[in-house]
Amino acid sequence: MKTGNSGSGMKLHRLFLLALCVGLFNAALASAQEAAPPQGHTFVNFVSAGNVVVSPGHSTPVHFTFHVVDPYHVNSSQPLAEELIPTQLHFSLPAEVAIGKLQYPAGKVMSFPFDPSTKLSVYSGDFVVNGLVIAPGQASTGTYTIHGELKYQACDNNSCYPPKKLPFTFNVKVGSGGKAIPKARPTRTSPHIHN
Amino acid sequence: MNRNVIVVLCVVVAITGLLLVGKRASKSPESANAAGSAQGAPPPGAGDPAKGSVAPVFELMSIPDGKATKLTSFRGKAVLLNFWATWCGPCKIEMPWLVDLQKKYGNQGLQIVGVAMDDTSDKEIADFAHKMGVNYVVLKGTEKVGDLYGGVDRLPLTYFVDRSGKVVDEIVGLRGSADIEEAIKKTLAQGN
Repeated sequence: MKTGNSGSGMKLHRLFLLALCVGLFNAALASAQEAAPPQGHTFVNFVSAGNVVVSPGHSTPVHFTFHVVDPYHVNSSQPLAEELIPTQLHFSLPAEVAIGKLQYPAGKVMSFPFDPSTKLSVYSGDFVVNGLVIAPGQASTGTYTIHGELKYQACDNNSCYPPKKLPFTFNVKVGSGGKAIPKARPTRTSPHIHN
Repeated sequence: MNRNVIVVLCVVVAITGLLLVGKRASKSPESANAAGSAQGAPPPGAGDPAKGSVAPVFELMSIPDGKATKLTSFRGKAVLLNFWATWCGPCKIEMPWLVDLQKKYGNQGLQIVGVAMDDTSDKEIADFAHKMGVNYVVLKGTEKVGDLYGGVDRLPLTYFVDRSGKVVDEIVGLRGSADIEEAIKKTLAQGN
Protein backbone atom coordinates (compact mmCIF):
# COMPACT_ATOMS: atom_id res chain seq x y z
CA MET A 1 0.00 0.00 0.00
CA LYS A 2 2.75 2.35 1.03
CA THR A 3 4.77 1.45 -2.02
CA GLY A 4 1.78 2.17 -4.26
CA ASN A 5 1.31 5.67 -2.82
CA SER A 6 5.01 6.43 -3.06
CA GLY A 7 5.07 5.22 -6.68
CA SER A 8 2.06 7.33 -7.53
CA GLY A 9 3.66 10.36 -5.84
CA MET A 10 6.86 9.86 -7.85
CA LYS A 11 4.82 9.60 -11.06
CA LEU A 12 3.00 12.83 -10.29
CA HIS A 13 6.29 14.52 -9.43
CA ARG A 14 7.78 13.42 -12.74
CA LEU A 15 4.74 14.56 -14.62
CA PHE A 16 4.96 17.99 -12.97
CA LEU A 17 8.62 18.26 -13.96
CA LEU A 18 7.73 17.25 -17.51
CA ALA A 19 4.93 19.82 -17.58
CA LEU A 20 7.27 22.52 -16.36
CA CYS A 21 9.83 21.64 -19.04
CA VAL A 22 7.19 21.64 -21.79
CA GLY A 23 5.79 24.96 -20.57
CA LEU A 24 9.21 26.59 -20.48
CA PHE A 25 10.08 25.16 -23.89
CA ASN A 26 6.85 26.56 -25.37
CA ALA A 27 7.53 29.95 -23.84
CA ALA A 28 11.12 29.99 -25.11
CA LEU A 29 9.91 29.04 -28.58
CA ALA A 30 7.28 31.78 -28.58
CA SER A 31 9.80 34.29 -27.29
CA ALA A 32 12.34 33.36 -29.99
CA GLN A 33 9.68 33.73 -32.68
CA GLU A 34 8.63 37.16 -31.43
CA ALA A 35 12.23 38.33 -31.15
CA ALA A 36 13.08 37.18 -34.67
CA PRO A 37 14.75 40.10 -36.43
CA PRO A 38 12.73 41.79 -39.19
CA GLN A 39 15.79 41.35 -41.41
CA GLY A 40 14.71 37.73 -41.77
CA HIS A 41 11.28 38.74 -43.01
CA THR A 42 10.31 37.13 -46.31
CA PHE A 43 9.07 39.35 -49.11
CA VAL A 44 9.70 37.01 -52.04
CA ASN A 45 9.76 33.22 -52.28
CA PHE A 46 11.26 31.03 -54.98
CA VAL A 47 8.54 28.72 -56.27
CA SER A 48 10.24 26.54 -58.88
CA ALA A 49 12.32 26.30 -62.03
CA GLY A 50 10.46 23.27 -63.31
CA ASN A 51 12.05 20.05 -64.45
CA VAL A 52 15.16 20.99 -66.43
CA VAL A 53 16.67 18.31 -68.66
CA VAL A 54 19.10 19.15 -71.46
CA SER A 55 21.31 17.15 -73.82
CA PRO A 56 24.97 18.10 -74.34
CA GLY A 57 25.19 20.57 -77.21
CA HIS A 58 21.57 21.62 -76.78
CA SER A 59 19.49 24.13 -74.88
CA THR A 60 16.12 23.98 -73.17
CA PRO A 61 13.78 26.67 -71.85
CA VAL A 62 13.66 27.29 -68.12
CA HIS A 63 11.03 29.24 -66.22
CA PHE A 64 11.94 30.67 -62.83
CA THR A 65 8.79 31.35 -60.85
CA PHE A 66 8.84 33.65 -57.83
CA HIS A 67 6.08 34.76 -55.52
CA VAL A 68 5.94 38.22 -53.96
CA VAL A 69 4.17 37.97 -50.62
CA ASP A 70 1.05 40.12 -50.24
CA PRO A 71 0.90 43.12 -49.57
CA TYR A 72 4.38 43.82 -50.93
CA HIS A 73 5.65 44.57 -54.41
CA VAL A 74 9.16 44.68 -55.82
CA ASN A 75 10.54 46.83 -58.61
CA SER A 76 10.45 45.18 -62.01
CA SER A 77 13.68 44.56 -63.91
CA GLN A 78 13.16 47.96 -65.53
CA PRO A 79 11.88 50.39 -62.94
CA LEU A 80 10.71 53.74 -64.22
CA ALA A 81 13.21 55.83 -62.24
CA GLU A 82 16.98 55.47 -62.37
CA GLU A 83 17.45 55.51 -58.58
CA LEU A 84 15.13 52.56 -58.03
CA ILE A 85 16.72 49.14 -57.62
CA PRO A 86 15.79 46.67 -60.39
CA THR A 87 14.97 43.03 -59.76
CA GLN A 88 17.79 40.89 -61.14
CA LEU A 89 18.70 37.24 -61.29
CA HIS A 90 22.28 36.03 -60.99
CA PHE A 91 23.71 32.55 -61.20
CA SER A 92 26.85 30.79 -60.16
CA LEU A 93 27.39 28.11 -62.79
CA PRO A 94 29.53 25.01 -63.22
CA ALA A 95 31.38 24.58 -66.54
CA GLU A 96 28.80 22.02 -67.75
CA VAL A 97 25.84 24.42 -67.73
CA ALA A 98 25.23 27.93 -69.04
CA ILE A 99 22.17 30.17 -68.79
CA GLY A 100 21.11 32.03 -71.92
CA LYS A 101 19.70 35.53 -71.99
CA LEU A 102 17.04 36.03 -69.35
CA GLN A 103 13.67 37.48 -70.27
CA TYR A 104 12.05 39.34 -67.41
CA PRO A 105 8.31 39.96 -67.50
CA ALA A 106 7.01 43.49 -67.99
CA GLY A 107 6.18 45.16 -64.72
CA LYS A 108 2.70 46.17 -63.68
CA VAL A 109 2.42 49.97 -63.70
CA MET A 110 1.15 51.33 -60.39
CA SER A 111 1.51 54.33 -58.12
CA PHE A 112 1.53 54.93 -54.38
CA PRO A 113 -1.84 56.14 -53.04
CA PHE A 114 -0.11 59.27 -51.73
CA ASP A 115 1.29 60.19 -55.15
CA PRO A 116 -0.85 58.93 -58.05
CA SER A 117 1.20 61.00 -60.52
CA THR A 118 4.41 59.00 -60.04
CA LYS A 119 4.25 55.71 -61.91
CA LEU A 120 6.15 52.62 -60.84
CA SER A 121 6.82 49.38 -62.67
CA VAL A 122 6.51 46.50 -60.22
CA TYR A 123 6.00 42.79 -59.74
CA SER A 124 3.46 41.49 -57.25
CA GLY A 125 2.03 38.03 -56.72
CA ASP A 126 3.71 35.49 -59.01
CA PHE A 127 6.18 36.49 -61.68
CA VAL A 128 8.17 34.32 -64.06
CA VAL A 129 11.61 34.95 -65.52
CA ASN A 130 12.30 32.92 -68.65
CA GLY A 131 15.67 31.78 -69.80
CA LEU A 132 17.56 29.05 -71.60
CA VAL A 133 19.66 26.38 -70.01
CA ILE A 134 22.52 25.46 -72.30
CA ALA A 135 24.73 22.40 -72.03
CA PRO A 136 27.94 22.72 -74.08
CA GLY A 137 28.74 19.82 -76.39
CA GLN A 138 31.48 18.53 -74.11
CA ALA A 139 29.31 18.66 -70.97
CA SER A 140 29.42 15.48 -68.90
CA THR A 141 26.10 13.88 -68.14
CA GLY A 142 24.89 14.19 -64.57
CA THR A 143 22.68 16.23 -62.31
CA TYR A 144 23.96 19.67 -61.45
CA THR A 145 22.62 21.80 -58.63
CA ILE A 146 22.68 25.40 -59.77
CA HIS A 147 22.83 28.23 -57.26
CA GLY A 148 20.93 31.37 -58.15
CA GLU A 149 20.21 34.60 -56.40
CA LEU A 150 17.37 37.07 -56.86
CA LYS A 151 18.23 40.64 -55.98
CA TYR A 152 15.20 42.75 -55.20
CA GLN A 153 13.92 45.64 -53.18
CA ALA A 154 10.43 45.45 -51.70
CA CYS A 155 7.89 48.08 -50.71
CA ASP A 156 4.30 48.19 -49.57
CA ASN A 157 1.91 51.11 -49.87
CA ASN A 158 3.67 53.31 -47.34
CA SER A 159 7.14 51.91 -46.69
CA CYS A 160 10.14 50.50 -48.49
CA TYR A 161 12.53 47.88 -47.17
CA PRO A 162 16.28 47.60 -47.71
CA PRO A 163 17.45 45.65 -50.78
CA LYS A 164 17.61 41.91 -50.28
CA LYS A 165 19.05 38.80 -51.92
CA LEU A 166 17.07 35.59 -52.18
CA PRO A 167 19.32 32.57 -52.71
CA PHE A 168 17.76 29.54 -54.38
CA THR A 169 18.81 26.33 -56.10
CA PHE A 170 17.48 24.17 -58.89
CA ASN A 171 18.66 21.01 -60.59
CA VAL A 172 19.69 20.59 -64.21
CA LYS A 173 19.95 17.09 -65.61
CA VAL A 174 22.41 16.85 -68.44
CA GLY A 175 21.59 13.64 -70.30
CA SER A 176 21.35 12.37 -73.82
CA GLY A 177 18.06 12.49 -75.64
CA GLY A 178 15.90 11.94 -72.60
CA LYS A 179 17.64 8.76 -71.61
CA ALA A 180 17.83 7.98 -67.93
CA ILE A 181 20.79 9.56 -66.25
CA PRO A 182 23.13 6.91 -64.82
CA LYS A 183 22.65 6.62 -61.07
CA ALA A 184 26.38 6.19 -60.55
CA ARG A 185 27.11 9.80 -61.47
CA PRO A 186 27.52 11.99 -58.43
CA THR A 187 25.44 15.12 -58.00
CA ARG A 188 27.59 18.14 -58.63
CA THR A 189 27.04 21.47 -57.03
CA SER A 190 27.84 24.88 -58.38
CA PRO A 191 29.96 27.13 -56.23
CA HIS A 192 28.03 29.32 -53.80
CA ILE A 193 27.58 32.96 -54.58
CA HIS A 194 29.44 35.36 -52.37
CA ASN A 195 28.73 39.01 -52.90
CA MET B 1 -4.15 8.83 -13.30
CA ASN B 2 -6.65 10.71 -15.45
CA ARG B 3 -6.78 13.40 -12.80
CA ASN B 4 -2.97 13.65 -12.84
CA VAL B 5 -2.96 14.11 -16.60
CA ILE B 6 -5.53 16.89 -16.35
CA VAL B 7 -3.49 18.65 -13.65
CA VAL B 8 -0.34 18.39 -15.79
CA LEU B 9 -2.10 19.78 -18.86
CA CYS B 10 -3.43 22.69 -16.79
CA VAL B 11 0.10 23.47 -15.56
CA VAL B 12 1.47 23.47 -19.15
CA VAL B 13 -1.29 25.75 -20.40
CA ALA B 14 -0.99 28.06 -17.39
CA ILE B 15 2.79 28.48 -17.69
CA THR B 16 2.66 29.06 -21.44
CA GLY B 17 -0.25 31.44 -21.17
CA LEU B 18 1.24 33.50 -18.34
CA LEU B 19 4.59 33.87 -20.08
CA LEU B 20 2.99 34.89 -23.38
CA VAL B 21 0.63 37.38 -21.74
CA GLY B 22 3.56 38.88 -19.83
CA LYS B 23 5.57 39.23 -23.03
CA ARG B 24 2.73 40.91 -24.92
CA ALA B 25 2.06 43.31 -22.03
CA SER B 26 5.70 44.38 -21.95
CA LYS B 27 5.44 45.72 -25.51
CA SER B 28 4.76 49.43 -25.86
CA PRO B 29 1.46 50.41 -27.47
CA GLU B 30 3.33 52.63 -29.93
CA SER B 31 5.24 49.67 -31.31
CA ALA B 32 2.09 47.63 -31.56
CA ASN B 33 0.30 50.42 -33.45
CA ALA B 34 3.20 50.97 -35.79
CA ALA B 35 3.47 47.28 -36.50
CA GLY B 36 -0.13 47.29 -37.53
CA SER B 37 0.29 50.09 -40.04
CA ALA B 38 0.86 47.68 -42.88
CA GLN B 39 -0.64 44.23 -42.84
CA GLY B 40 2.02 41.55 -42.66
CA ALA B 41 4.85 44.05 -42.46
CA PRO B 42 7.71 43.34 -40.11
CA PRO B 43 7.39 45.25 -36.85
CA PRO B 44 9.79 48.11 -36.19
CA GLY B 45 12.94 47.07 -34.37
CA ALA B 46 12.62 46.34 -30.70
CA GLY B 47 15.28 48.94 -29.98
CA ASP B 48 13.26 51.94 -31.17
CA PRO B 49 13.90 54.93 -28.93
CA ALA B 50 10.81 55.34 -26.75
CA LYS B 51 8.87 58.58 -26.55
CA GLY B 52 10.19 60.70 -23.71
CA SER B 53 13.65 59.13 -23.85
CA VAL B 54 16.74 61.01 -25.00
CA ALA B 55 17.30 60.43 -28.72
CA PRO B 56 20.42 58.29 -29.24
CA VAL B 57 23.29 60.59 -30.04
CA PHE B 58 25.49 60.10 -33.09
CA GLU B 59 28.00 61.78 -35.33
CA LEU B 60 27.68 61.42 -39.10
CA MET B 61 29.22 63.02 -42.16
CA SER B 62 27.15 65.64 -43.87
CA ILE B 63 26.50 65.56 -47.61
CA PRO B 64 27.84 67.12 -49.77
CA ASP B 65 30.44 68.91 -47.64
CA GLY B 66 31.66 65.88 -45.63
CA LYS B 67 31.53 67.73 -42.32
CA ALA B 68 31.30 65.64 -39.12
CA THR B 69 27.92 66.53 -37.62
CA LYS B 70 26.65 65.56 -34.19
CA LEU B 71 22.98 65.28 -33.32
CA THR B 72 23.77 67.21 -30.15
CA SER B 73 24.86 70.18 -32.27
CA PHE B 74 21.15 70.81 -32.88
CA ARG B 75 20.26 71.08 -29.17
CA GLY B 76 17.99 74.05 -28.64
CA LYS B 77 16.23 73.29 -31.92
CA ALA B 78 13.34 70.96 -32.63
CA VAL B 79 14.77 68.24 -34.85
CA LEU B 80 12.86 66.20 -37.37
CA LEU B 81 15.13 63.20 -37.94
CA ASN B 82 14.12 61.57 -41.21
CA PHE B 83 15.70 58.26 -42.28
CA TRP B 84 15.39 57.87 -46.05
CA ALA B 85 17.08 56.39 -49.13
CA THR B 86 17.29 57.28 -52.80
CA TRP B 87 15.62 53.95 -53.70
CA CYS B 88 12.66 54.60 -51.40
CA GLY B 89 9.60 55.82 -53.31
CA PRO B 90 7.58 56.92 -50.27
CA CYS B 91 10.63 58.87 -49.01
CA LYS B 92 10.73 60.70 -52.33
CA ILE B 93 7.06 61.57 -51.97
CA GLU B 94 7.51 63.20 -48.57
CA MET B 95 10.70 65.12 -49.44
CA PRO B 96 8.89 68.10 -51.01
CA TRP B 97 6.68 68.21 -47.90
CA LEU B 98 9.78 68.36 -45.72
CA VAL B 99 11.23 71.13 -47.89
CA ASP B 100 8.05 73.18 -47.39
CA LEU B 101 7.94 72.45 -43.66
CA GLN B 102 11.59 73.51 -43.24
CA LYS B 103 10.72 76.79 -44.94
CA LYS B 104 7.60 77.26 -42.85
CA TYR B 105 8.97 76.37 -39.40
CA GLY B 106 12.71 77.01 -39.76
CA ASN B 107 12.47 80.44 -38.17
CA GLN B 108 10.60 78.93 -35.21
CA GLY B 109 13.51 76.60 -34.48
CA LEU B 110 12.84 73.55 -36.63
CA GLN B 111 15.81 71.74 -38.14
CA ILE B 112 15.09 68.84 -40.46
CA VAL B 113 17.90 66.31 -40.66
CA GLY B 114 17.71 63.68 -43.39
CA VAL B 115 19.78 60.55 -42.78
CA ALA B 116 20.40 58.73 -46.07
CA MET B 117 20.57 54.96 -45.55
CA ASP B 118 21.99 54.30 -49.02
CA ASP B 119 24.93 52.15 -50.04
CA THR B 120 25.46 54.42 -53.02
CA SER B 121 28.12 57.10 -53.33
CA ASP B 122 27.94 60.43 -51.56
CA LYS B 123 27.75 62.09 -54.96
CA GLU B 124 24.66 60.13 -55.96
CA ILE B 125 22.98 61.05 -52.69
CA ALA B 126 24.00 64.69 -53.08
CA ASP B 127 22.76 64.79 -56.68
CA PHE B 128 19.45 63.23 -55.68
CA ALA B 129 18.98 65.66 -52.78
CA HIS B 130 19.84 68.55 -55.08
CA LYS B 131 17.34 67.32 -57.68
CA MET B 132 14.67 67.15 -54.98
CA GLY B 133 15.43 70.72 -53.90
CA VAL B 134 16.38 69.66 -50.37
CA ASN B 135 16.95 72.70 -48.16
CA TYR B 136 17.80 70.86 -44.93
CA VAL B 137 20.76 68.98 -43.51
CA VAL B 138 21.55 65.63 -45.15
CA LEU B 139 23.80 63.12 -43.40
CA LYS B 140 25.21 59.81 -44.64
CA GLY B 141 23.73 57.12 -42.42
CA THR B 142 25.54 54.07 -41.12
CA GLU B 143 24.35 50.67 -39.95
CA LYS B 144 25.58 51.50 -36.46
CA VAL B 145 23.41 54.60 -36.25
CA GLY B 146 20.52 52.64 -37.76
CA ASP B 147 20.89 50.11 -34.95
CA LEU B 148 20.60 52.91 -32.39
CA TYR B 149 17.20 53.68 -33.89
CA GLY B 150 15.83 50.15 -33.86
CA GLY B 151 17.54 48.87 -37.01
CA VAL B 152 15.74 51.20 -39.45
CA ASP B 153 14.34 48.21 -41.31
CA ARG B 154 11.72 50.21 -43.16
CA LEU B 155 11.74 53.65 -44.70
CA PRO B 156 10.79 56.40 -44.33
CA LEU B 157 11.19 56.50 -40.56
CA THR B 158 10.88 59.83 -38.81
CA TYR B 159 11.63 60.85 -35.23
CA PHE B 160 10.66 64.16 -33.71
CA VAL B 161 13.20 65.33 -31.14
CA ASP B 162 12.49 68.34 -28.94
CA ARG B 163 14.86 71.16 -28.05
CA SER B 164 16.18 69.26 -25.05
CA GLY B 165 17.00 66.17 -27.14
CA LYS B 166 14.04 64.00 -26.13
CA VAL B 167 11.94 61.94 -28.53
CA VAL B 168 8.46 63.43 -28.80
CA ASP B 169 6.99 61.32 -31.57
CA GLU B 170 7.74 58.76 -34.26
CA ILE B 171 6.19 58.18 -37.67
CA VAL B 172 6.83 54.84 -39.36
CA GLY B 173 6.29 54.79 -43.10
CA LEU B 174 4.61 57.40 -45.23
CA ARG B 175 1.76 59.36 -43.70
CA GLY B 176 0.16 62.59 -44.81
CA SER B 177 1.99 65.91 -44.55
CA ALA B 178 -0.64 67.06 -42.05
CA ASP B 179 0.46 64.33 -39.63
CA ILE B 180 4.08 65.44 -39.97
CA GLU B 181 3.15 69.08 -39.46
CA GLU B 182 1.12 68.25 -36.37
CA ALA B 183 4.07 66.38 -34.88
CA ILE B 184 6.37 69.32 -35.71
CA LYS B 185 4.08 71.74 -33.85
CA LYS B 186 4.01 69.43 -30.84
CA THR B 187 7.81 69.12 -30.93
CA LEU B 188 8.37 72.87 -31.22
CA ALA B 189 6.17 73.38 -28.18
CA GLN B 190 8.12 70.96 -26.00
CA GLY B 191 11.51 70.94 -24.34
CA ASN B 192 11.81 74.72 -24.02
